[in-house]
Amino acid sequence: MLIEAHNVTKAFGAFKAVDDASVTVEEGDILGLIGPNGAGKSTFFNCLTGDLPVTSGRVSFAGHDVTRLPPEARARLGLARTFQVPLTFESMSVLDNATIGALLRHPNARDARARARDVLQRVGLGHVIDAPAKSLGTPGRKRLEIARALASEPKALLLDEAMAGLTPTEVRDAIELVRRIHGDGITIVIVEHLMEVIVSLAQRVVVFHQGREISRGTPREVTSDPKVIEAYLGRRKVRHA
Amino acid sequence: MNRYLFFGALVVLALVYPLLVQGIPVWERMGALVLLAAIGASAWNIVGGYAGQVSVGHAVFFGFGAYAAVVVYTHLGWPPIAGAPLGMLLSVILAAVIGVPTLRLSGHYFSMATIAVGELVRVLSSTSDFLGGAQGLGGPAMPRSVFDLSFLSATPFYYIFLAVLAFLLGLTWWIERARMGFYLRAIKDSERAARALGVSSGRYKLYAYMLSGAFTSLAGSLYLCMFGFVDPESGFGILISVKMVVMAALGGAGNLFGPLVGALILVPLEELSNSYLGGRGAGLTFVVYGAIIVIIARFLPSGLLSLFRPRPSKPAPKSEIASGHAD
Ligand SMILES: Nc1ncnc2c1ncn2[C@@H]1O[C@H](COP(=O)(O)OP(=O)(O)OP(=O)(O)O)[C@@H](O)[C@H]1O
Ligand SMILES: [Mg+2]
Repeated sequence: MLIEAHNVTKAFGAFKAVDDASVTVEEGDILGLIGPNGAGKSTFFNCLTGDLPVTSGRVSFAGHDVTRLPPEARARLGLARTFQVPLTFESMSVLDNATIGALLRHPNARDARARARDVLQRVGLGHVIDAPAKSLGTPGRKRLEIARALASEPKALLLDEAMAGLTPTEVRDAIELVRRIHGDGITIVIVEHLMEVIVSLAQRVVVFHQGREISRGTPREVTSDPKVIEAYLGRRKVRHA
Repeated sequence: MNRYLFFGALVVLALVYPLLVQGIPVWERMGALVLLAAIGASAWNIVGGYAGQVSVGHAVFFGFGAYAAVVVYTHLGWPPIAGAPLGMLLSVILAAVIGVPTLRLSGHYFSMATIAVGELVRVLSSTSDFLGGAQGLGGPAMPRSVFDLSFLSATPFYYIFLAVLAFLLGLTWWIERARMGFYLRAIKDSERAARALGVSSGRYKLYAYMLSGAFTSLAGSLYLCMFGFVDPESGFGILISVKMVVMAALGGAGNLFGPLVGALILVPLEELSNSYLGGRGAGLTFVVYGAIIVIIARFLPSGLLSLFRPRPSKPAPKSEIASGHAD
């Protein structure tokens, strides 16, 4: 197992944003994580990466118990992520943004630069390498998030709605990109609202609702699960129950 | 290239400046004071500019340097400059002691914590007999050897300060290009994103703070050598901290030459206003610095040098990068 979350709970005060979630991801998997707005998907990611300390439970990555490790230590072990709202390094060029990621495995700035260039070409940002990162629109920023993460040469990549806000053509390109990344041997966990994306990429899917896992299986299985349909369609009713 | 020619001309000008103003003590002194202020502000720039951790308590390190220099004279009879390495060492330790708890704080909270520490040290220093209390301590009245650095003109100090500034800027230039420089800028832009990419932000901020503290302390020791006297206000006073921030911010924080540019503008301004207004100018200094802070914050958030920054050579094709804002 590459990623293992055991009974992870994250509470904000009395409110449990993630409630007793246990998810495992095998090396080479593409795991889809879906659920309605506010289901706790991003919070769960933050527990995996160490951005948030868990309230209870255990997280392990690549054979290490990382529950108490800070995000940078988990990144060094090979866990990379993108942020739902891109956190671009605004004062830097596109190239320097990716260079920050590349410096993790290439301490020499010149080597890191070269590595960053390669990655930017690979994700389709080759034409804006020297542009200021703040000139990028949302699709560009989302790609840059992916490029930075890839430049750190991770074992696993957590994508938090990396395709939200893209046009249908851009989504198709992005799906292709994720396939290529996976083809390079990187394990992927993907949060996405677009079922089309999940169905075409994920081998397994876990469904969250109000912090709890309500279903898991192949994309086909979970989309026909009545609990899932109810969660998506009857949210108001369920919440009052 | 044009840029190198311009830079070369500035270096030559810096080297011959004392010859140009030879025999005019006010201007000889001015040159040395500009460089000394530039050393302090450039030291501040490492943590305040590059790493974006705005310390408003750097007088702590400045005062440590000044007092270390005078204390080795008063209590051991050594030449004051011999206290400089001691001050730097103590400042590195002090930076670790202050930095470990406070660098966790974000933004304004870090700034406020550094102000609090600075004021605390100032008050403590004025109650310490070892440090001469509120009266402060003086260096050697008569030079005993060349190591006491007592000179009739300010010109020897000018060249000493120039050498120290050149070394500090060289070091900063090297850091800027190395992994540490990239990481400090990343932390400044988004600490969370930096950590997600494996940057040990706590460690790098602390390194920057310690390095910055060490060179600020050196500026303090050099100050003592030139002025021969320090008291709690001139060593640990908050105005010392504020000046470093304002000079760096005016020229451009996080820019190699920003602090020097700020010092080139503010030091002559202050010296001239002091000589025309005499003692009455003291309160005015605060007003002027306050006004400059407001102006920078409102109109020049990246400092004067940002006005000259070359535009990116090729603007990126708009259609491809600016589309799809919907989210
Ligand atoms: N820092 C926080 N403090 C308090 N509540 C929070 C915090 N972060 C998230 N929450 C709450 O936790 C719940 C889960 O949020 P989360 O962002 O994980 O959902 P999500 O599944 O990612 O939703 P979306 O699809 O909208 O991104 C939400 O109700 C949210 O308001
Ligand atoms: Mg989310």
